[in-house]
Amino acid sequence: MQIREVEITHRLGLHARACARIVQLASRFRCNVALVCRRRRASARNIVEMMLLAGAFGSTVRVETDGPDESAAMAAIVGLLHDGLGAPA
Amino acid sequence: MVSFALHGVGVSAGVAIGRAQLISHATLEVAHYAITAKQVPAEIERFQLAVSEVQHELETLHSAMTGGDVPGEFGAFLDVHWMILNDPTLSEAPKKIIAEQHCNAEWALTQQMGVLVEQFEQIEDSYLRERKNDVVQVGERVLKRLMGRPGTLPPTKAEEQTILVAHDLSPADVIQFKHHHYGAFLTDLGGVTSHTAIVARSLNVPAVVATHNARQLIRDGELLIVDGTNHVVIVNPDRAVLSEYRLKQNELDLARQKLKRLRTKAAETIDGVRVELQANIELPDDLEQALANGATGIGLFRSEFLFLNRDGLPSEDEQFEAYRAVADGMAGKPVTIRTFDLGADKHKEGLEGLSRVAPNPALGLRAVRFCLAEPRLFLTQLRAILRASHYGNVQILIPMLASVSEIDQTLAMLAQAKETLREQGVPFNAGVAVGGMIEIPAAVLAMDAFLKRLDFLSIGTNDLIQYTLAVDRADEAVSHLYDPLHPAVMRLLSLAIGTATKAKVPIAVCGEMAGEVLLTRLLLGMGLTNFSMHPTHLLAVKQRVLQSDAGAARAVVERIRRADEPRKVLALLQKLNA
Repeated sequence: MQIREVEITHRLGLHARACARIVQLASRFRCNVALVCRRRRASARNIVEMMLLAGAFGSTVRVETDGPDESAAMAAIVGLLHDGLGAPA
Repeated sequence: MVSFALHGVGVSAGVAIGRAQLISHATLEVAHYAITAKQVPAEIERFQLAVSEVQHELETLHSAMTGGDVPGEFGAFLDVHWMILNDPTLSEAPKKIIAEQHCNAEWALTQQMGVLVEQFEQIEDSYLRERKNDVVQVGERVLKRLMGRPGTLPPTKAEEQTILVAHDLSPADVIQFKHHHYGAFLTDLGGVTSHTAIVARSLNVPAVVATHNARQLIRDGELLIVDGTNHVVIVNPDRAVLSEYRLKQNELDLARQKLKRLRTKAAETIDGVRVELQANIELPDDLEQALANGATGIGLFRSEFLFLNRDGLPSEDEQFEAYRAVADGMAGKPVTIRTFDLGADKHKEGLEGLSRVAPNPALGLRAVRFCLAEPRLFLTQLRAILRASHYGNVQILIPMLASVSEIDQTLAMLAQAKETLREQGVPFNAGVAVGGMIEIPAAVLAMDAFLKRLDFLSIGTNDLIQYTLAVDRADEAVSHLYDPLHPAVMRLLSLAIGTATKAKVPIAVCGEMAGEVLLTRLLLGMGLTNFSMHPTHLLAVKQRVLQSDAGAARAVVERIRRADEPRKVLALLQKLNA
């Protein structure tokens, strides 16, 4: 299992479309991907859980990947989070 | 089970005994009913089908968007909705609820949406919190699908009536319920003038509103007695109370049976004044009830109901068929078709002029104003009515006229519609009578211009009172100020009826006042001889007419017209009814 902490730098936080992109990205990997924010946990395959994480601007999110391609998945997810989750909504 | 009583405002008299059916107060009114263990797999399948259909709907929308010059974010938005739909919290959890609670799919989904919304509500960040709307919108799409295809209808036993218990009812809800034959209505909100009240009275079904928390205290399937006359609801009544109420109900039924014998009798006062008692209808299906209650014509066909609860606008042919069916069915008796009275309280999605929120809908773009602003829609309707005029005694009634220019524009549109039909060789009655609704005080005070241009008039008392007193009767905070007996209303009514009668232009009353037996003598005394009302009131009003002396009423009404206080009006009215 791999664990990394990432700060949300997008002005709108983990907004709906950002969540959608994370879910789409996570679905390309075979490992489990989960995000944890303020003790709330969400599977990255589940958009409603992700939206309920309510990762606001400036908050820290813990990314966990666990499975055969966990390193590649971690790199991809962290990359997306660092990229500022795409264009500002 | 504990027996208890709830107090509210009885807005429609009578007694009903039956089982509660709860309707949730979500944006969409959702029925809640129990299903048997055997029905669970079918119910889950029904839910799954609805989800699949919405999935398809979103995919179709998405593919329609790619290619055109639609901004990419619309597609992304649909993606989000598609993903939410496929999220097990929305697409799987309700199935579990159906299986565990043995409830219908709509209710299971509504509950799950409630759980999710509650979680969203706890989010601090306001932007992220508002994303709950995406979840709600997706959920509602599925709900709409489910409700469009009711699978297992709520179980009702033939010998037991169902009593609708809701937070509040909208006009669109109510039209859906029309065919359900509820025994009574019970709502948390509302007042004497709310939609629930108006509909309950028109269906002649007891109703108690403003119970505040009936929806929470009453459980699905509980036995209820609704006593609309005494403003009370008894939940889980004991045997003694139940038998007492059964007796009361029998007496009421007996009185109703007696009235039925009056069906074919002509309505004439003691002093020989012949009175037309006509019916207000909403859909061609209502014709049967109108005839069963001895209507001598259709005084008001509310054509806008052809619009409600459907997608898209009714075509000219569709409208023509509806109008012709009524004209045919009345076999030569007058059929007064009111052109679309859309707007204000009757919303219709998909009509551009109405989708915007008017700052003051009752004073905004509605009824004839809306029709004149949408000439194509109006012409289509006028053509349909004209075509139907070939098949019976059809009249056209224009709602909410205030000024001469509106009458002239409407008549010009009618002339145009006639011209197009003539060119196409389609038959119609060239001399079709055109009348105007008198609902705005301005129309009463400047009636001369109306009398010159129109063939007949019809007073819509509900709106006339609302506009005279500046009271929105649907607004609980001011509805107590809505007073049909206000001296100003008395004077306007009497002025309108008197002016038209003097000019020999037929005038009718088609508002709620026409169907109220306590006001029958008042209106007769003002000189009214044409009443149009919901069919359920026809026989009771006829009975009243048969027992009235119009000449004697006139003398009392003359004093009512001069009364300056509601208290005095009321005292004189009691004298009139004694």
